[in-house]
Amino acid sequence: MDILKPADTPLLGIPAPVIALCVLVLAAIFFSYVMYKRIDLMRKAAPDPRFSNIPARVWRALLYGFGQWRQPRYLGAGILHILLFAGFMILSLRSLTLIGRGFSSTFHLPFLTGPIGFAYESLKDYTVLVVLIVCVIAILRRAIFHPSRYQHPGVPGHEYEAYVILGLVAALMVTDMVHDGSLFKLESVPGAYHWFPAAAFASLFMPSHDSSVLNALHVGGYWAHILVFFGLLNYLPISKHFHVITAIPNVYFSNLNRGAIKPVRYGVEDWMTLDQCGVSDLTSFTWKHILDFYSCADCGRCTDNCPANAVGRTLSPKMISVKARDYAYENYPIFGKAHSGGSENKKLVGDIITESEIWACTTCGACEAECPIFIEYIDKIVDMRRYLIDRGEIPQSLQKPLQQIKKKGNAYGAMKSKRAAWAKGLEDAEVRILSEGESCDLLFFVDSCGSFDPRIQEISKSFAKIMSRNNLDFAILGQDENDSGNEVRRLGEEGLFEQVSAKNIEAFKSRNFNEIVSFDPHALNAIRNDYPETFPVIHSSQLISRLLNRKTMSLNRDWVGDRVVTYHDPCYLGRHNGVYDEPRDVLKSIPGIKYKEMERSFSRSFCCSGGGLLLWYENEDEKERMGEVRVRMAAEVGAQVIVTACPFCLINLEDAIKTTGNEGKIEVIDLIELVDRSMS
Amino acid sequence: MIKNIYVIAEQRKGSLRDITWEAVAAGKKLATDLGAELTCVLLCGKGGLIAEQLAVEVPKVLLVENPVFESTNSEAVISTLKELIKPQGSYLVVMGASNSTLDFAPGLSVALDAALATDCFSLEVKDGRLLASRQIYSYKINSVVSFKNSDRVVLTLRAGSFQFSPAGEAKGTITNEPCPIDESKLRKRFIKYVEAEKGDVDVASADIIVSIGRGIGDEPDLEMFQSLADTMGGVLACSRPIVDKNLLPKYHQVGTSGIEVKPKVYLALGISGAFQHLGGIKGSPLLIAVNKDARAPIFRVANYGIVGDLNEVVPALEEKIKSLKG
Amino acid sequence: MNIIVCMKWIPDTSEADLTVAAGAKDIKKDDLDHDINDWDRFAVEEAVQIKEKVGGKVTVVCVAPEDSEETLRECLARGADEAFQVWSDEMEGGDGYCTASILAKFIKNRDFDLVLTGTLAEDDGAGQVGGMLAAMLDIPSSTLVSKIEIHDKKASFLRELEGGLYESVETDIPCLISVATGLNEPRFVSIRAVRKVASIDIPNMGIEELGMDAGQVGQAGARLVMEEVSLPPEGEGAEIIAGKPEESAARLAEILKEKGALG
Repeated sequence: MDILKPADTPLLGIPAPVIALCVLVLAAIFFSYVMYKRIDLMRKAAPDPRFSNIPARVWRALLYGFGQWRQPRYLGAGILHILLFAGFMILSLRSLTLIGRGFSSTFHLPFLTGPIGFAYESLKDYTVLVVLIVCVIAILRRAIFHPSRYQHPGVPGHEYEAYVILGLVAALMVTDMVHDGSLFKLESVPGAYHWFPAAAFASLFMPSHDSSVLNALHVGGYWAHILVFFGLLNYLPISKHFHVITAIPNVYFSNLNRGAIKPVRYGVEDWMTLDQCGVSDLTSFTWKHILDFYSCADCGRCTDNCPANAVGRTLSPKMISVKARDYAYENYPIFGKAHSGGSENKKLVGDIITESEIWACTTCGACEAECPIFIEYIDKIVDMRRYLIDRGEIPQSLQKPLQQIKKKGNAYGAMKSKRAAWAKGLEDAEVRILSEGESCDLLFFVDSCGSFDPRIQEISKSFAKIMSRNNLDFAILGQDENDSGNEVRRLGEEGLFEQVSAKNIEAFKSRNFNEIVSFDPHALNAIRNDYPETFPVIHSSQLISRLLNRKTMSLNRDWVGDRVVTYHDPCYLGRHNGVYDEPRDVLKSIPGIKYKEMERSFSRSFCCSGGGLLLWYENEDEKERMGEVRVRMAAEVGAQVIVTACPFCLINLEDAIKTTGNEGKIEVIDLIELVDRSMS
Repeated sequence: MIKNIYVIAEQRKGSLRDITWEAVAAGKKLATDLGAELTCVLLCGKGGLIAEQLAVEVPKVLLVENPVFESTNSEAVISTLKELIKPQGSYLVVMGASNSTLDFAPGLSVALDAALATDCFSLEVKDGRLLASRQIYSYKINSVVSFKNSDRVVLTLRAGSFQFSPAGEAKGTITNEPCPIDESKLRKRFIKYVEAEKGDVDVASADIIVSIGRGIGDEPDLEMFQSLADTMGGVLACSRPIVDKNLLPKYHQVGTSGIEVKPKVYLALGISGAFQHLGGIKGSPLLIAVNKDARAPIFRVANYGIVGDLNEVVPALEEKIKSLKG
Repeated sequence: MNIIVCMKWIPDTSEADLTVAAGAKDIKKDDLDHDINDWDRFAVEEAVQIKEKVGGKVTVVCVAPEDSEETLRECLARGADEAFQVWSDEMEGGDGYCTASILAKFIKNRDFDLVLTGTLAEDDGAGQVGGMLAAMLDIPSSTLVSKIEIHDKKASFLRELEGGLYESVETDIPCLISVATGLNEPRFVSIRAVRKVASIDIPNMGIEELGMDAGQVGQAGARLVMEEVSLPPEGEGAEIIAGKPEESAARLAEILKEKGALG
């Protein structure tokens, strides 16, 4: 039978290559124009140096971009996405080939000839079938189960997009199958269905053996495919599915400085002299943050893991991206002039993203740990807070601790001179206060809570005792120590952070020590990641683990007994600093300990709500406290002892034990205290 | 030396306020110690009845009646008292420390060219010199002051500091004094009284607060606590968990995210003493804690504590208070 | 609307263990941080908010030594237009009456519509300067004001009385208003906000500039004489009332009665 090739078949008397050229040129012009508009907004945005450290970035793009490494954290959806993504990768060559075949019926990509070409054709056909099946499953999954993380509370009109995209992708597959299925039937090579199952499958539905009908389907299927392809391509940058284009660049440019907060503005020597501090509108975000907004696929994994969201606070990380993207598309439209504030003259920070969302964040980082494409939230939240702080708009309950830190170097309002009061007259330890010019091996950074909170002073004492028992040469700064500034910075009061960190840095530099050690992961994080100068700093759990490895001490089961023990990963120890193993090593060194992991552990740990000075902030919207949720998680695995390694966690969880009625059933203890009570 | 002691009676809406009797008690004592004559001054709209109440306890009552005194208009009060008292040349003016006297006592002291000591909790005459004790630095320090010119002094007295026992035998005279005020010339005008819009209790300005926390248990007997608060003449407040459990409305919550209070007595029942809660208690009230947990941090900041079961302590306490109050 | 706010600069004694200084005339203040009296913080904020609504100028004045400059600068950062620090060594040891006299001298020659103060200062807790100052300036005054509305030549406001009762009052302008805490939500003053007003000059005025003589200020001008300060007797932590529930409750009831807490 004669086979009509699309390139050789004029339509309405116009030669096919002319049509192909027109479609290609029009689609390319429109696509370039839209991309120009999108990139133009990024160019107007604040600077962000993301061009260094190329090997690390390439590796990230390979592993998390092409490798889809984070996708299986949600197994079902992850596998579907990996299949779709792999399909897209494979079929991209097919698409290029098909575009070429509008010009020449024999067009093929240079390397896809002979047996390789045949193998690719076959692989492509299997892929088409898989992608089509995945699309159908994905559509059904959405339509039937309505997973809550896909919803857009308060911002209607987004759900349909997913169906449009899945429909277009399915149409792409179907048109390819029509194009190839008709060919399959025209050629009718015996046994070929092994190699081309999609085409064979499609051919089953072809009505007749009439070559003119089959040829019409072949040519029609081709043009339909081309139109759907360019339609989809041009739909991407105006929809949430922009991520198909931006995701891999977004991973490539992602933040490599774990635990740190970005400076107020990159490339500015003295940010204090800026007209504006922090982020009020789209263009005061950095270009990478705009790219984040473009890249969000609304998958909702961030929000699904957000502890603030889980307890009913208004914050939803996903909706920050969605709302900011909507705002960007509305105010920087494809056609017409950019304007600010949209039709209702709404401000991005304040009206669209509300203050209650902005203050609800504990900066725990669960959202960032989950996002498959590394969208950042903490820096954005902090930047928005910086703006609010600059305008003096901050919840009253947070003003006091900030003022106290400013005046007295601690949020408790206690006098500086009493900072080392806890260390006086201890029975089992002598705590040396290191004066300027003196030396020690370990500088114990106590931080404000360890110095002034009566409950946390107990940890300070235990730690001092452990170090004394092990004959370590340690000392504290006494009243020369200031609050680490970790929370101050995350609340957006950059000036105050600079003030307290500078004082600590000065205190560090005027003394000699080998290492700083702290049992407060927040202090650890600030010193390690935020301070402009580098000091070696470790967490107390790392020190204990070291001592155990050296066999200079060992632990017994006297205190723990037969109780089931679980470990709560503090956000600033785990997610922000990657210390997951040492605390567990310490626990597991207790002979015969009954240890059980909570479902949410390691990088999926659930925040206790203490981060970012929010210990002082009582949220009005929440229906329960994060600590209570966490205690219930521990109860679920039958834990009788929750061990943590952060003073804020301890305070919140101890509180939650009481409010959930678990007093006497579950005990919370800091790792240091546990070690103190279990030393042999 | 001072020959005249004036006690300024305080009335609201036509009734004498209790604090007046404490001022009378202090005035009587000073009159004896200084050998001075005691006069009570009553400014009110229509004051015949109250004046007679006063006359039972003091030898002399000056009554000034004018509609302007239906409220305490500081401008009118100052002008009137100046007119009445200043011509005497030497005087000691005594009144209770209240939100009303706070409004006019300082201005009055200037008008009378007198020294002023406010919120005194104790007065003493030593070697003929008047000494007043006050608390300073957020009630953390006691101070004793004397007066450079003891001839002209204005004092306001802290409520609850001066014991008054009715004698009821004075048979004092009541003298009607003309009111020197031209109301149309006043620059300050009272409009009306306004009840605060804040639910059925006003925790913020209560002097006595009975506050409950999560230590009251899962199935608490709220009636018992309310009843204690009523008996003490105070209001019922709480910490956040009680609001979380919907046991009391939000406007009862004391704390950094609730209401800040400055009571005179704060009875904390089953409150552990989280600083978010303590942050809402300003000033230095008489803080009493009852908690079954002897290690509760509240005991570190309380003045008095009882370690025990609320269900036993609270009813016993209420009974005893009832019997003490008679 | 020209508004003058009188701010007091006081030691922060909230978390400190106070000790009596030698001579027992005052406490030891060397270790204490000083800051704006909390009530006055609300007054400054209210002044700035009124200015933001109706326009005008906010002037803050503080009778305190040089070290108060930082606190005055915070007032500028909060939105005040100018600040004056009034002090001469002779002013040391004055009482509230002296402070009111000094402020009256400062204000008299200025163009003003409104004088705002806090009702009380947390150090001496006397609540006297506002009322005295108004009397010296011969303008109407009110204390414990919890809500202010400014009309043409008239200010209307609510005053707190006891037990949840308020009185609605109005005065002619010019007038003096002593505010209660909580009448607004003072804005946060960041380090940067203070830095921004770093170049504004905060003039110092002494008795000469005010046209006063040494006899009117300090101990010489004071009407009160501090005889003695002392720490009230107090134990470490709570005094635990031991015994059976009925016994301890009974004892507590007696304590309440002794302390005058039973009305």
